[in-house]
Amino acid sequence: MSRSDTPIRNRIRTLRFHHDEMTQQELADRVGVTRQTINAVENGRYAPSLEVAFRIAAVFDVPLGEVFQYEPGSA
Amino acid sequence: MAIPNSEGSHIRPTPPSPFTIHASFAEKSVWIQLISLTLGLGLYVVVAGSMLRGGTDVLIAYMPVFVVAVLFIVAVNVVGHIAVAIASRPNGPDERDRLIGWRAESNCSWILGAGVIAAIGGMIAGVGEVWVAHLLLLSLFVAEVVKDIIQLVYYRRGMSL
Repeated sequence: MSRSDTPIRNRIRTLRFHHDEMTQQELADRVGVTRQTINAVENGRYAPSLEVAFRIAAVFDVPLGEVFQYEPGSA
Repeated sequence: MAIPNSEGSHIRPTPPSPFTIHASFAEKSVWIQLISLTLGLGLYVVVAGSMLRGGTDVLIAYMPVFVVAVLFIVAVNVVGHIAVAIASRPNGPDERDRLIGWRAESNCSWILGAGVIAAIGGMIAGVGEVWVAHLLLLSLFVAEVVKDIIQLVYYRRGMSL
């Protein structure tokens, strides 16, 4: 498990897997950010803005809470 | 290493990006700026330093060296950005790039401020214009270099520092 800098956990890797192994680049293109930003979010090195978080959830067609979970004290 | 998820499948986590290949265009741009500034103004500091030691106290005498340094910085920036744009996909900055830039700028703006205050103090104390100008230039240079370094740290280590 990679080191996480934020108290926000995410299931992006799992969701990408369940969407035909969607690539980070494909997700980044659909969200409108760089692939490096998706990588940073996925590995817990960057907490995205609310708008980007909603866009990620919209790509996977799931509620926001299924993508991101707030776990205070875990950073 | 593959890890089981809640559905029982095994998903291989995507490893953090290795530095050299997967840096974003904005991060590569910071590297180019850092290298060009260090080389260009480093060169200027070496030449101007020897002129100062030699007793040159007329500000205009430093202008040709400064112009060459600025042209060198611009040339390295242009060539570097063209090379990076050809070699990789040029993306515009996204929210993370902008946040990193803003936060780095915020963290090092005091350096330029300190330089300006020191320069004003120097003027009050009657220090020559050559020294005042170079103090201002040095503080601008150091502030920019520190900003670039902080940005690179944020890109590599995250922003929780």
